[in-house]
Amino acid sequence: MSSQKKRATKVEPLKHRTDVDPKFFDKSWKKLDDAIREIYNHNASGLSFEELYRTAYNLVLHKHGMKLYDKLVEKLKGHLEEMCRSLEDAQGCLFLEELQIRWDDHNKALQMIRDILMYMDRTFITTLKKTPVFDLGLELWRDIVVRSPKIHGRLLDTLLELINRERMGDVINRGLMRNSTKMLMDLGPSVYRDDFEKPFLEVSESFYSVESQQFIECCDCGEYLEKVQKRLAEELERASQYMDAKTADKITGVVETEMLSIHMQRLILMENSGLVNMLIDDKHEDLTRMYNLFKRVPDGHSTIRSVMTSHVKETGKALVTDPERLKDPVDFIQRLLNEKDKYDKTISVSFSNDKTFQNALNSSFEYFINLNNRSPEFISLYVDDKLRKGVKGANEEDVETVLDKVMMLFRYLQEKDVFEKYYKQHLAKRLLSGKTTSDEAERSMLVKLKTECGYQFTSKLEGMFTDLKTSQDTMQSFYANISGDTDGPTISVQILTTGSWPTQPCAPCNLPPEITDISEKFRAYYLGTHNGRRLTWQTNMGNADIKATFAGRRHELNVSTYQMCVLMLFNSTDGMTYSDIEQATAIPRAELKRCLQSLACVKGKNVLRKEPMSKDISQGDTFYYNDKFTSKLVKVKIGTVVAQKETEPEKMETRQRVEEDRKPQIEAAIVRIMKSRRVLDHNSIITEVTKQLQSRFLANPVAIKKRIESLIEREFLERDKVDRKMYRYLA
Amino acid sequence: MRRSSKKSSSSSAAAATAGPTRGVSKEIERIDQLFCTYADSSSSVIDPEGIEMLCSHLEVPHTDVRILMLAWKMGCEKQGYFTLDEWRTGLKALRADSISKLKKAFPELVQEVTRPSNFQDFYPYAFRYCLTEDKKKCIEIPVACELLNLVLGLQFHPQVDKLINYLKYQNEYKVINMDQWMGFLRFCNEINFPSLDNYDSDLAWPLILDNFVEWLREK
Repeated sequence: MSSQKKRATKVEPLKHRTDVDPKFFDKSWKKLDDAIREIYNHNASGLSFEELYRTAYNLVLHKHGMKLYDKLVEKLKGHLEEMCRSLEDAQGCLFLEELQIRWDDHNKALQMIRDILMYMDRTFITTLKKTPVFDLGLELWRDIVVRSPKIHGRLLDTLLELINRERMGDVINRGLMRNSTKMLMDLGPSVYRDDFEKPFLEVSESFYSVESQQFIECCDCGEYLEKVQKRLAEELERASQYMDAKTADKITGVVETEMLSIHMQRLILMENSGLVNMLIDDKHEDLTRMYNLFKRVPDGHSTIRSVMTSHVKETGKALVTDPERLKDPVDFIQRLLNEKDKYDKTISVSFSNDKTFQNALNSSFEYFINLNNRSPEFISLYVDDKLRKGVKGANEEDVETVLDKVMMLFRYLQEKDVFEKYYKQHLAKRLLSGKTTSDEAERSMLVKLKTECGYQFTSKLEGMFTDLKTSQDTMQSFYANISGDTDGPTISVQILTTGSWPTQPCAPCNLPPEITDISEKFRAYYLGTHNGRRLTWQTNMGNADIKATFAGRRHELNVSTYQMCVLMLFNSTDGMTYSDIEQATAIPRAELKRCLQSLACVKGKNVLRKEPMSKDISQGDTFYYNDKFTSKLVKVKIGTVVAQKETEPEKMETRQRVEEDRKPQIEAAIVRIMKSRRVLDHNSIITEVTKQLQSRFLANPVAIKKRIESLIEREFLERDKVDRKMYRYLA
Repeated sequence: MRRSSKKSSSSSAAAATAGPTRGVSKEIERIDQLFCTYADSSSSVIDPEGIEMLCSHLEVPHTDVRILMLAWKMGCEKQGYFTLDEWRTGLKALRADSISKLKKAFPELVQEVTRPSNFQDFYPYAFRYCLTEDKKKCIEIPVACELLNLVLGLQFHPQVDKLINYLKYQNEYKVINMDQWMGFLRFCNEINFPSLDNYDSDLAWPLILDNFVEWLREK
């Protein structure tokens, strides 16, 4: 063969020279027809596959394909129609079984028929694009049997009836069900869908609509949800046992909609058993169930979240605004911590630590904790209490845990600068009175604050610790250095760096001569070793141990410096008037009154006697050494400087100081921002400043405006001449 | 009356190069002479007493806004005192060299000042004029009220009336600074009164005006 030849070689089929028998078709068809009948009659074993195949083959070869096909269709139709009628007569539950059997038969028969007619399938049918034999068989089954008016409805009703019975608790023949649905699936996805699945879902919808209505009338929320969970499991199991895999999601969707979505509000808000009650009573199992069920439903979790948030906000608000609760700050904070613990546990156990719920909880706490402007003070008092007394029965780890939890509350505060002020005050008192149980705990707290708020926050506080350490060293070297009599009183001096400590400058009072001696010695020593410094005695802050004898008994009194000054006066006289005392000690009036009250008017501590015996101190009172004073204890503590909740006027003062401190901070922020931006409009400045300061306090827009105007007056900023909303930085 | 002004204007070109003409120099002479009538002989400035006398001759009360306008025209730096230079500047600009001419120049002066472009300059000038000491940047509330009335009272009577009442009533601010002063003018020019419907406290109005509007709205 030459390679130039381009035409494909053709192979002609061998042409039989057969006589065209007019009856050829009919004879052949009769063979096939009989065979088909036998097949349906379960008599296939007697047939010769090879012969039948050849018969069909020849028919197609002799161009009788079309006729053969039509005859096949006719044959099948006829057979099926006949079968239909007998099926319609089947009684009751046997109907499904009968259908089942027939379907099986039909499938098997079709296979054989297809095999016989394989040649036609492969050639004629493919060329003319007709439906292949097997599919044809299925289609005919579908149209004639399944969709026959009598059978169609009956089939569906039977299936649905069985499902309903099973839902009501009966046991049904699942094998039958499976085969029936499989049959529909085999007939085509649209058959399964339209002839079974769709009506099934509709019926289920009404079923669950009714059932959910019944349940919700008679069950409480927890019970109802249990039932829903059960039904969902059931439906899932049912679908996996005898339905198409895709139906599982659809039917569970129906249950979720009918039983959960529609009644969601009512369930969650149900009185006495809804979400709020579950939260209050720590019903973790119910809550877990609710969380898992409502996960499946649109807006399920967001509804739970918002109900939880309003509940937490409400109870929190009630807590912080209850005047009874405000009487004991430590208890107040403890309750808040308990609330936090409770909800943390709920979220961890029932809500699988869902971050969105954690965030919702955080924002609720942040909301109500700042409703009470004493929260910063109270948190500081709580920490003070714990550091002073220690946590009951706690080891180091427990203390850490408690402090960590307190830090969580601290983070919610908007006015962190107020906290700082109080913490400083309370820390100072603790340190100066030596009343802290654990140095490590104090340091640990500082570290936590530093981590949270930065170095600025804690640098002064650390300075306080350093001062005390240094003072200890100084005292040691002082006593090592002084010579002379050691008969007099011993002093212990704490040297405080001004600026680190929140002390109010106060004019020193008149110290007793016994004290002035040694204190001057100390002053001289200190100033000798530290050049250029100035020492001022803070007589409003010290304490003293005095040995005193009352009615022959010896006692040791632990008193404040002021109290010491007053008491020492009575070494030279038995009685003194108020004015005398005032003059002699030079203690400021309000302090003196408090001091005298604590010495004369408190039961069990009345080392002085007052005339008249009233509770209040007035100018005309006279005080006497109380020789009748008794106490079971040898060591009597009178008046310690304990951190207490502030009185109203003190509170106002602190608040004022905080406001004053904020002004330069706001101005610094404004200047910082304007320096980098050069020109900026009013609202943007407000936003930026608020953002910069939010780690310390929430800046008030009016306060910011005031500072801007002050800066304009001092010519740091100016208004833009054209656009009055804009400000410009003046270098 | 000699039309000396016309003569000087027509010959001003020549005057620039050839020196003052006789008419002009005569005018200057008269202006100077007039100055001496009122000036204090030792300090050689017109002091408050002199100004009072001037006012009575002009038949204008010395608290009248026209005197303030005259000060502006003169470029006076110190309240209550006119220097010779300032005097010359003012009267020359007004082309007045006698009391009667000065008196007649007033209506035109008032018109000139109230023209918006000039008023923008006059208004802050009035504030600065009232600053009594060198370093001071604010004027006291009572003085500010008087000044407001004087300077804005005619044009914006209802606003000024209410504003003065508020300034006297509030006690947060004891003085007014320039920024706030300028704010008052803006307020009168821009904000609908008495509806106040286009006042937006988010736009950077001075805080004192925010409080004023709030006070008005509460009533």
